[in-house]
Amino acid sequence: MKRVLEGSQAVAEAVRLAKVDVISAYPITPQTHIVEFLSEYCAKGTMNARFLRVESEHSALATLIGAATTGVRTFTATSSQGLALMHELLHWTTGARVPVVMAEVNRALGPGWNIWTDQTDSLAQRDTGWIQLYCENGQEVLDTIIQAFRLGEWVNLPVMVVLDAFFLSHTYEPVDVPDQEPVDHFLPPYEPKFQVDTKDPRAFGSLVAPNAYMEMRYNIAEAMEEAQSCFQKIEDEYKGIFGRRYGLVEPVYCDDAEIVLVTSGTITSTSRQVINDLRARGEKVGLLKIKLFRPFPVDIIRQILKSIPKVAVIDRNISFGASGIFAQEVRAALCNLAGHPLVFGYIVGLGGRDVTTDVLEDIYWRTKNNNVPEKESIWLGLQEV
Amino acid sequence: MAEKKETENVVPLLFPRSSMSTENNLTGSWRFLKPCYEEKTAPCSTACPAGEDIGRVEMLMTQGMFKEAWETILKENPFPAVCGRVCFHPCEGKCNRGEFDDPVAIRSIERFLADAALRNEFNPSFDRLSSRKEKIAVIGAGPSGLAAAYFLTLLGYTCDVFESMPEAGGILRWGIPLYRLPVSVLRSEIARIENLGVHIHTGKHISQDFLKKAQGDYSAIFMGCGHSSTRRLNIHGEDIEGVENGLEFLGKIRRGEKYSFDGPVAVIGGGNTAVDVARNVVRLGGKSLIVYRRRRRDMPAFDQEIQMALEEGVEIRELLAPAKVESNGNEYTLTVQLMKVTGKDIDGRAAIEPEGGKTEEITVRKIFKAIGEEAAESWYNPPGKNKSIITLSNSVLVQNSKGSVLVFGGDLTNKTKSVVHAVASGKEAAIALDVLFKKGFDAIESGLETCTVGEGPSLSMEVYMGGPRCDRTHHVVVYDEINTDYFQMASRVSQPRLLIEERLKTFGEIDLKISANSAMKEAGRCFNCGLCNQCDNCYFFCPDLAILRDDGPQGRHINYDYCKGCGVCVVECPRNAMVLKEENQ
Repeated sequence: MKRVLEGSQAVAEAVRLAKVDVISAYPITPQTHIVEFLSEYCAKGTMNARFLRVESEHSALATLIGAATTGVRTFTATSSQGLALMHELLHWTTGARVPVVMAEVNRALGPGWNIWTDQTDSLAQRDTGWIQLYCENGQEVLDTIIQAFRLGEWVNLPVMVVLDAFFLSHTYEPVDVPDQEPVDHFLPPYEPKFQVDTKDPRAFGSLVAPNAYMEMRYNIAEAMEEAQSCFQKIEDEYKGIFGRRYGLVEPVYCDDAEIVLVTSGTITSTSRQVINDLRARGEKVGLLKIKLFRPFPVDIIRQILKSIPKVAVIDRNISFGASGIFAQEVRAALCNLAGHPLVFGYIVGLGGRDVTTDVLEDIYWRTKNNNVPEKESIWLGLQEV
Repeated sequence: MAEKKETENVVPLLFPRSSMSTENNLTGSWRFLKPCYEEKTAPCSTACPAGEDIGRVEMLMTQGMFKEAWETILKENPFPAVCGRVCFHPCEGKCNRGEFDDPVAIRSIERFLADAALRNEFNPSFDRLSSRKEKIAVIGAGPSGLAAAYFLTLLGYTCDVFESMPEAGGILRWGIPLYRLPVSVLRSEIARIENLGVHIHTGKHISQDFLKKAQGDYSAIFMGCGHSSTRRLNIHGEDIEGVENGLEFLGKIRRGEKYSFDGPVAVIGGGNTAVDVARNVVRLGGKSLIVYRRRRRDMPAFDQEIQMALEEGVEIRELLAPAKVESNGNEYTLTVQLMKVTGKDIDGRAAIEPEGGKTEEITVRKIFKAIGEEAAESWYNPPGKNKSIITLSNSVLVQNSKGSVLVFGGDLTNKTKSVVHAVASGKEAAIALDVLFKKGFDAIESGLETCTVGEGPSLSMEVYMGGPRCDRTHHVVVYDEINTDYFQMASRVSQPRLLIEERLKTFGEIDLKISANSAMKEAGRCFNCGLCNQCDNCYFFCPDLAILRDDGPQGRHINYDYCKGCGVCVVECPRNAMVLKEENQ
């Protein structure tokens, strides 16, 4: 049924439909609406889940690691400083191989104190072994959350579903909320491959000596690699039931493009309009939306971009001392291709600054008018201070 | 779809999981600090001259174990029903709860337990030592003599108590007014002492000859004759008819003599006797005027008694020293010298001197003298110091050449003249004699030191007799050592009392009983400083499951194979019943 929902409620509706058993979270703007909706569902009995209140994000995730080890479906949500506080346990979740699902609302890190959107918080956690999926609109958020449980439980890795603060979390859009029955069909109850069993006691997360640690890490790397094809199969199945599919990445007009804009999150929607406008004026421009950031879909990206002369990567994030993080990843993916495209990196929209059609068009022209990138990262829209 | 799932990618899943028991990991080897159960001393019990184990009494009370709580008092004090009414409760002044909200109403709970025991005819079980051959005479059946006989009997001695009055009780029977201590209550407590095997011989004239003979018949004699004689004012006219001694007046009332007053009555003095006399007078129709030479705040009477006297309409005139008394018909003129404060005396009371020649005349219908009491006979008092005398905290022990021993106690030796100090005196004498008979004269002082509550001077008979209280350390728990996170503010039970209008018409007991429910609730306010009440915080908080329950008296012990010495149990113990020590200590 189509409903007009806030992005946060799209998350909550998906969690409800996924029949999560245990939720634990600590409120932080702009994620708060998600846990407010969920706590209300739990209180009203709309959801039959335990909502565990805790004193910090660190405890929220610790709680869910414990809960997930008992073999139940778990969910949390956070943002920014809250995610940073979880850092230690993000690694632990992966090492413990428990499929916790998290909604991460991209928010800038302070100080300067800023509650608006910025991807640096989630991208800074790229090495923790969490699968990361970036969403463009409310519908994608709902669908991706439901898929995330299938994916995480399949490969025994935690999954982070990422959405932009306010542009997505607090924006109302029509969202098709599926009925429970097809969701149950797509996402049956969690069947854990291991769990705490008092009749057969085990110690979890114990000491691992150098003779086995590396194998365990390799094992996680393999599971992460496997997640790409697993997610594709999940999407196939989802499309079969619900008619929607997003892809690990989504290429638009890339076949004959001379310049391709690489985007993620809500900037993608604005870019769709920009490339249409430019195409109408005869410009050979394309768009590549990256949804799956971890594992990074290197092969597909190479395949799509291999014969494109110039690629403009738009980053709403910054790795200080390096460049935009998506740009780094795209460059790394392409560098071993003979005659690989030139990669232009643009830093825009930090701390929630608007990324308008004008900004995106400026990126196109700068890329077109320069034979090579002036710098690794070009910061756009900086004002005199 | 199930079939489809089987064709799904098989994902590798290698992660740390061990089937080896974590018991193999003896985390106790990491420890350099060691938590231990260690019960300590509550400040109330050191403040109690009788050394009652108040923290434990309140704990048992909270658990509804009224008989056991009452028996815990009886180990240290034979008079819970009396002290539950008339004690000036120094315990409450030292209660750590006082720094949190209000002190626990310890006296009200003691009275509740004692009354519950009487009402339900509880038959107490006593720990008694085996019989001894020594026989001991006690002179005076007041609180100190009866306490001495009680404790000596528990220690295995045969005791005869000799009392000149027709009934035992001393000041409790003949001094303290009925509105504070009903006679039936006193009789029940004395009967319990007699049932223990103490022989009380009343109506026995005590003379020096009697004492001499007793010294031949008994191994020791406890002198608890009390202070029954009112001190003289040494002013003109004090012996004229109509000027009476306060204590005698109280005795006459207690013997049933009829008095009635009309108009103002002067009571000279500032002690408990003066206040009791004044309060009796208002009940008999008079208007009481306490005339005291220092200030009201310097009065040795207990504050609460002064407060109630004022409520009942007693007037206090301060800084007035009596100078002379003259009779004119059916009235008396009391001339008083006005006094002024010049500083502090050694007790912290006002030092005073006459204010020039200023005097005042007060016309009254009757005068009572109550400036303090002394022994009725000089030979009641202990002799001066010499090497065969040991002066203890609440008694004086004299070994005379013939080998029989005299112990002087109660008001004869106590600085503070209170019932509970009399009990302390009787207990100290009993323990001192037991040490003397078993280990000799020179062992007495060190013998008493083994059973002090905290650093003393209060003594514990339970500790002396080797009871479980021996395991407590002498460390007195202070407020900062209580983990108040575990306590909620709660108002202290208010003592229900007769209305003032009712008090003035009757000698009925002023303090009314409190319900079992409120007594238990009040006992629940007790921090039980230094005592384990089995709250199990240590058990719940231990991250290593190293607290194990057992059937021992503590109820639990620490498994040091796994205790890492983190100390969380000690920190989370609400009442400081645990301690963290260095490993090698």
